[in-house]
Amino acid sequence: MLRVMLVCSAGMSTSLLVTKMKDAAMKNGIDLEIFAVSEVEVKDNIDQADVVLLAPQVRFLFNKMKQELEPKGIPTAVIDGMNYGLMRGDAVVKQALELTVNTK
Amino acid sequence: MKKFLEIMEKHFVPVAGRIGSQRHLAAVRDGFVSIMPLILAGSVAVLLNNTLFKWVPALGILTGINGNVWWGTFAVMTLVVVFSIGYNLAKSYSVDALAAGLISVASFITVTPQAHGDAGWGYIHWGYLNATGLFTGIIVALIATEIFVKLMKRKLTIKMPDNVPPAVGRAFAAVIPGMAALYLFGIVGHIITNVGANSLYDIIYNLIQKPLQGFSQGLGSAIILAVLLNVFWFFGLHGGNIFDPIVNSLYLPALEANASAVQQGVAATNIVTKSFYDSFVHIGGCGATLALIIAIYIATKKRNEYREVAKLSAPAGIFNINEPMMFGLPIILNPILLIPFILVPGILTFIAYIATASGLVPMTYVQIPWITPVGISGFLATGGSIMGGLLSVVNFAVAILIYLPFAKLADNMANEPNTSIHETSRKSMNQSA
Repeated sequence: MLRVMLVCSAGMSTSLLVTKMKDAAMKNGIDLEIFAVSEVEVKDNIDQADVVLLAPQVRFLFNKMKQELEPKGIPTAVIDGMNYGLMRGDAVVKQALELTVNTK
Repeated sequence: MKKFLEIMEKHFVPVAGRIGSQRHLAAVRDGFVSIMPLILAGSVAVLLNNTLFKWVPALGILTGINGNVWWGTFAVMTLVVVFSIGYNLAKSYSVDALAAGLISVASFITVTPQAHGDAGWGYIHWGYLNATGLFTGIIVALIATEIFVKLMKRKLTIKMPDNVPPAVGRAFAAVIPGMAALYLFGIVGHIITNVGANSLYDIIYNLIQKPLQGFSQGLGSAIILAVLLNVFWFFGLHGGNIFDPIVNSLYLPALEANASAVQQGVAATNIVTKSFYDSFVHIGGCGATLALIIAIYIATKKRNEYREVAKLSAPAGIFNINEPMMFGLPIILNPILLIPFILVPGILTFIAYIATASGLVPMTYVQIPWITPVGISGFLATGGSIMGGLLSVVNFAVAILIYLPFAKLADNMANEPNTSIHETSRKSMNQSA
């Protein structure tokens, strides 16, 4: 099962996206565990993730995250702005899956 | 322009973003969110007493019920928020949050005067517990919790054997850190009373809170705040969240003072409150994005992307949720919309301020949920005044007018073959990774 961790600044706007992603994953029969954490909680949760997606508001964290996660083989990216704004769960799920395929 | 955006992305955004997730500011913000049920209950109470219960004489005998609810909520706002701030701060450290909250409250009372005027000893004046005591409460909660957390983390605790129930074990662990925090404030209170100042509250209120709140009621600062919120949003930072601690610390007390004045039958005096912004400026969310949605509908005739995004964002926009527009259009890093996005909050604030200051529209004194749609928000926030509802609709119309030319411009550019600016904004948002 693939574990997707979403990072945002306070956890409020991202929780809706998590729900939509779970719906999309279920509808397409994809086995995903999706959860959202705030910036401060990343360190404690990093071992529970196979792929990390950043909300656009915290996109400035990307370089730091990439440095920490690349050696561990965990891909990371910023969620596409439009998909985030329009809460396109299926598109973000797709982005997560594509990231993991590229690293295998 | 592109260079400017790049420089901002590199230097301004990370700093501002860090401020937004800064632990203590987040704790203050979450502290206020936690007491929302109380604030809303108190608002309903004051609202009822000034509308329904006033218009229907038969209900007049029940005003005491609302008075009681107001007393338990608005009147002791600082007392309760001290708990929730301490709780949330400790929670962010993964340290016993319940203990931290309780110790914060106790520390706050520790530095609160124990006597009042002619009543003598043993009477706490409610003025220390309501919004005027807010800055003192926040400072005490943060310091008390910090001490508590630091000592807990250093394991300066009393350890109980394993067969003791966990709740008891946890309570004993909190003893030494808790006592340290409490005694610190006991000492602080003692020093203050012995140097002649009445209390910690007096120092903080007179030196910091009163001047700041006076300053914040000015037209200039009200406009600057509204504009700043949008500047942060333009760079993709949640302006609302980042400024929440400041807005709540300055403008919630203003609201409470108004509510308490109305409750006691005197005139409210604070023009700018949190509800002021929510009803008259943030129409559809920060930047009056609902107005932009309407402007797009009016300005774009052909089937195009902007119209699609506006359509998808409309349901959320009615309830003042603007993320779909911010990230979806996008408004973020979109140079064409920068000018109206900065102009709109300033102008709306100005109009609402003048309207309220001149007495055309009553002062806002009711806290409304920020998702309340335009028109209804203005009506409720001013305690059921039609003028209030009208002002928010007027501001809505003004915002649409300001956005119209820019919506048309953006639409024209998006339909042109070299859609450089439109694409640039979306690219720079996704690429600044």
